[in-house]
Parts: sequence; structure tokens; C-alpha cells
Amino acid sequence: MNTFKPAPDRAPPSQTVGPIAWVRDNLFSSIGNAVLTIAVIALLVINIPPLISWAFLDANWTGTTEADCVKEGACWVFVSAWSNQFLYGSYPEAELYRIHLMLLVLLGVIVSSFTLPKTIRMKASITMWLALPVVGIAVLDGRMLGLPVVSTDLWGGFTLNIFMAAASIIVAFPFSFLWALGRRSDMPFIRTVSTIFIEFFRGVPVLSLFFMGSVMLPLFFEQGTNVDKLIRVWLVLIFFMSGYMAEVFRGGFQAVPSGQYEAADSIGLSFWQKTLLIILPQVIKVSMPNILATFVMLFKNTTFLLIIGIPEVVQTLQTALANSFWLGGHALEGYLFVFLVFWASCFGMSVLARRIEQQMNTDKRA
Amino acid sequence: MFKKALVVASTAAVTAFSGAASADGTLDQVKQRGQLSCGVSTGLAGFSQRDENGVWSGLDVDVCRAVAAAVLGDSEAVQYKPLTAKERFTALASGEIDILSRNTTWTHTRDTSLGINFAGTNFYDGASFMVMKDLGVTSATELDGANACIQAGTSTELAIADYFREMNMSYSPVTFDTSDQTRAGFESGRCDFLTSDGSQLAALRIGLADPSNAVILPEVISKEPLGPVVRQGDDQWFNIVKWSLNAMIEAEEQGVTSKNAKNRTVTGNPANKRLLGAEGELGSNLGLSSDWALQIVTQVGNYGESYERNVGKGSPLQLDRGLNQLWSKGGILYAPAMR
Repeated sequence: MNTFKPAPDRAPPSQTVGPIAWVRDNLFSSIGNAVLTIAVIALLVINIPPLISWAFLDANWTGTTEADCVKEGACWVFVSAWSNQFLYGSYPEAELYRIHLMLLVLLGVIVSSFTLPKTIRMKASITMWLALPVVGIAVLDGRMLGLPVVSTDLWGGFTLNIFMAAASIIVAFPFSFLWALGRRSDMPFIRTVSTIFIEFFRGVPVLSLFFMGSVMLPLFFEQGTNVDKLIRVWLVLIFFMSGYMAEVFRGGFQAVPSGQYEAADSIGLSFWQKTLLIILPQVIKVSMPNILATFVMLFKNTTFLLIIGIPEVVQTLQTALANSFWLGGHALEGYLFVFLVFWASCFGMSVLARRIEQQMNTDKRA
Repeated sequence: MFKKALVVASTAAVTAFSGAASADGTLDQVKQRGQLSCGVSTGLAGFSQRDENGVWSGLDVDVCRAVAAAVLGDSEAVQYKPLTAKERFTALASGEIDILSRNTTWTHTRDTSLGINFAGTNFYDGASFMVMKDLGVTSATELDGANACIQAGTSTELAIADYFREMNMSYSPVTFDTSDQTRAGFESGRCDFLTSDGSQLAALRIGLADPSNAVILPEVISKEPLGPVVRQGDDQWFNIVKWSLNAMIEAEEQGVTSKNAKNRTVTGNPANKRLLGAEGELGSNLGLSSDWALQIVTQVGNYGESYERNVGKGSPLQLDRGLNQLWSKGGILYAPAMR
């Protein structure tokens, strides 16, 4: 029997497929677009080659002193010679393992709070997070563990940014939860105090808070009782952060349907049982994207610490630029380095944040 | 104005309840701690700078090291606290630091109203001018009508306005926010001359693409004596810092250096021996051991050595001694009599 065989499709007109058509559709679809395309290409052609030759071809890669920067291009020697300072500050080289250890612990805690078996996850991760700042201070300072003491004036560099941000957010987390609860409370006194606190720390620029921590706070203590500058600034960051996070949590509380509260009441749970077992898990789930965004903001804000002389990474860079053996003007290389490490960490965090959101998103979307 | 009032009020408040603390003088506190806490700048070429290994050096840092050597016998027993210009006096008033050695200009207002004492001058600075060689200018008096690159908000801004008015000349200021931008502006020809403090100019000059093309004019138009600062109310500590600095200057005048100091305790003239503690009681009068100045000179060096190593011919800055030469050699450095 003859079966019907359709004739093979004819090839589409050659003008509508392939790279030429793509270019025509996307780059030269109108006179305006054509002009734009040409302008952009011209810009790239003019700017990219000098940039590449500055950053790579003519760049100086090897050496330890400024005298090794003989070629026209970037002096990456500057970054490599100062890399220990940029990353760890003046932390003694023999003790650097402590910083690495704490970074690993931090990473481990983050990972395990999302991978532990569900039965113990909540309790275990809360314990780990709350213990982390104490362990961190003990390990990095060394006094409590009998290790060689590394006083805080030697801490610095990019790892200081990481630790300051992490330590602040961890401590701020429970506080901000309480502030948010307080703001929703029916008791007028607690509500007023919480509102004033939140609005004060949200309404004041973080820079002025840093100045207060570094310049005004010491004057309220008795002479001789020196609260370490880093700890003063840490307190400021915690206050600032808990003000912001409280608002994030308040949004989360409002997103939980009132039926959940009523259901909890109807089975006779106490206030704290209701809040901790029913409401809080839902609040955290809803607020996760905002919490992570706030954390990235805080992390970047730690560079403001340079304004009060804390040797975080940008301050260290400025110190390096002022060194009389490196006066040849390496600001561009230095700031590019800072730009890269911050961009890499923040990008990494937002990738992680997306993973977390997907994992936590158990009901709303597939 | 408010800022000053705040600092004054706070200093007064601190001195009011520091009664208990002053029974335990700064000297005892430092000895007990085993470390001197010294306020320095966050980074100023040649004066206080940290290197790639975290080691501090500089002319201001050497004052800290000298005091540590005199008091503790170890010039390395110093905890450096990098401070911004705004924090420095509070840090001193609150007791966070024992000495402030942070290119601080000695002015009447500061000395009389902030509850602090200047323990001497370790560098005589002053606003000066830098021009490109091809401008053909050799003196500041030829700068009438020129464009000036200035860093905004510095005391230089005031000094240059006074100077030009006094000389009946005009100039148009081009101000920048940071010293890097000021240098870039000068280099790109936005202005004919750059003005800043002499020590700063030397650092800016090195950063130029071709430093040999720029010259610093001889005129110095303002007084900026920089020196170490201590809290008021602890005269013993004030004396220690003052005489530690004087010992460095006196050592240079007597020709005592870090290399020959040990020998001079035996072979030197009576003045050498008095300074280095082989004779007399200079050390015990300060409450220190008799070899205090010997420790300073062997560990840190005399003033001349420190100068050349940090900002002079032995450093990239290549500053001339200028005013900072001994009085006997044309400068104005003069230590009171060591006896």
C-alpha cells in the first residue's frame, strides 16, 4: 500500500536564519539600533585593547618591591606584596591557621544549618550559631584557650570585614526578633520602647553611629576602663543591624495569615509556644530573601569602618598607598582588588541565597 | 565650634572623674602593662606607616619607640593604635593611648583648651609650593595670577589665602577632596602649582609620573610644628616624653649614634656620660633606670639617624633637613641642657 509521505520541509529563506538573520534582527533592526550598535562596537574597540594591555599584557606580575614594576601596565606586584595585609591585617603569620580555621567553621555552620537531618536541624543550628561568636573571639584572640594572645589591634584586612559582619548579624538576629515582637506587642511600654529603638537605629546614618562608637562612647566610661575599639564598633553594628532586621521580621510576621495565630490559640498553646513553634518558622521562611539582602548590605557597610581607622581592607589599602616605598600611585590596582574580592563574595552569597530560597520554598511554588 | 566644645566638655568630664586613675600614674600603668600604647596616624609616608609585614616605622613612630625604650627598655614593646584626625584627642583623653604621636600641629588653642600638653616638636613643617619645572618659576613671589591645586578643608587652604593677600597677589583655587586627586589634578595641568605641607609635598612628588620634572619652591608660608602629645595632669609622664625626645636631639648634637653609644659610656666626655647614664642622676629624676637614654640611642638612634632613615636621604622622600637641622648647623632644633 502506498503510504502518504509528506514532502520534506523546504529550507526557510536564507535571509531569515543563521547568524546573518540574527544580526539583522537584533542589532540592525532599525536605523536607530544600527547607529547604537556601531557606537557600542566602536566604544569597545577603542577601550578594550588598552585595558587588556594595561591589566594583562603590559602588567608587572613578579617581584616584591615597587622597583620591580618597570613596565607601563598595572603593578600587580603591589597587590601581591601586600596581599597578606589586605587579607589578614597584621595578624601574626604563624597564627594565621586560626583565621582559616574560623572561616572553615563559619562555612561549616552555614552548610550544616541547611543539610542536617530535619529532626535536629533547628536546635543544633541555633546552638551552633549562638556559640559561633564566642568561639570566634576565643580562637582569634587566644587568651581563653591558652594560645598566644593576638590583640585586636593586629586584626585586619578582608577577613576582619567577614568576621565583623558575621559576628554582628548573629548577635543581632535574636535581638531583632525580640524588637519585632515588641513592636507588635499589645503592651504600650514595650511597644513604645521597641518602636523608638528601631526607628532611631534605622533613621541614623551608620557613619554617624560609628563616630559615636569611636569618639563619644569612650568618654562615658571611666578613665582606664578601656573597652576595645573593635568591641565598641561591634556593639554599634549589632544595634544598627538589629534595627534593620526587626523591620524585616515585622514584615514576616505580617505575612503569616491570622488563621495560624488563631489555630495555635485554639489548641491551647502558650504565647511562647505559639510564637516559637508556629509563627517563627513561617516568619523565617518568608523573610529569608530580605534577611540575606540585609546581610549583604551589612557586609559591604563594614568598609565604612575605615572612617574611624579600623584596619579593614579599604583602610589597609589606604595605609599601603601612603607607604613611602609604594608612592608610585597604585590606587587603581588596589581598588580593583577590593572590588573583585567584594564582588566575588557578594555574588557567592546571592547564589547561595537563591539555593536557600528554593530549598525553603516548600509550599508556594513548585 | 560645636565639635570643639564637645571635646572640651568631654575632656573636662574625663579629668573630673580621673582622680582615682591618676593615683596610678601613666608610667606605672605602662610598666604594668609591659607595653606602651601609642596613637599614630593611619598612614602618612615617612611619619607613621605600616609595611607589608605589619611593621610600623616613621619619624612619629620613632618617638613611640624611643619612649618605650626609655621606659621598658624595649623599643618594640609598643602597641600602635592607628587614629583618624577626628578621634585623636578623645583617644588620648579617654586613656586609650599613652602618647599621641600623630603629626599633630602644636597650636595655642589645642594646647590651652583640650586638656593636653605638647611635649616638644619632632618636625617643623610648613605649607609650601610645588611647580612643574617647565613653568620656569623659582620663587613663590612669581606666582601672581596662577591656579592653585589645594586639598579642601586643610589648614593649607587658609595659609595660602593669607599669604597671597599679604603679598598683594591673586590666585584661583582648584580644590580636590583627597591628596591623590590633588596630585592627579596637578599632573594633568589643571593648575600651575600645588600647595600643601612640605612633608606632604615630598610624598606627592614621588607619586608623579616623572618626579624630576617637579620642584618644591624654597618659601615656607606657615608654621606647622608637629610633636608628641600627652594628657595634662601627669607631669612625670609629660617629663618622660619631653626628655626622651630631647635625648634624641641632644645625642645627635653630642655626636652619639646608635653605633658608638655603648663605647661612649666609657670613653666619652663628661656630657656623653651624663646623657648615657654612666654619671649623674638624669634617669632616676625621671623615675627611669639610669640607662634610659642609652636604650633610646642604641635601639632607635639619635634624631639625625631617625630623620635620615624615615624622611631624609636614606628614604624615598629625600627631604632636606631644613629647619629640622640642629641649631648649631643652621636649623632650629635645640634641646635644653642635659644636666
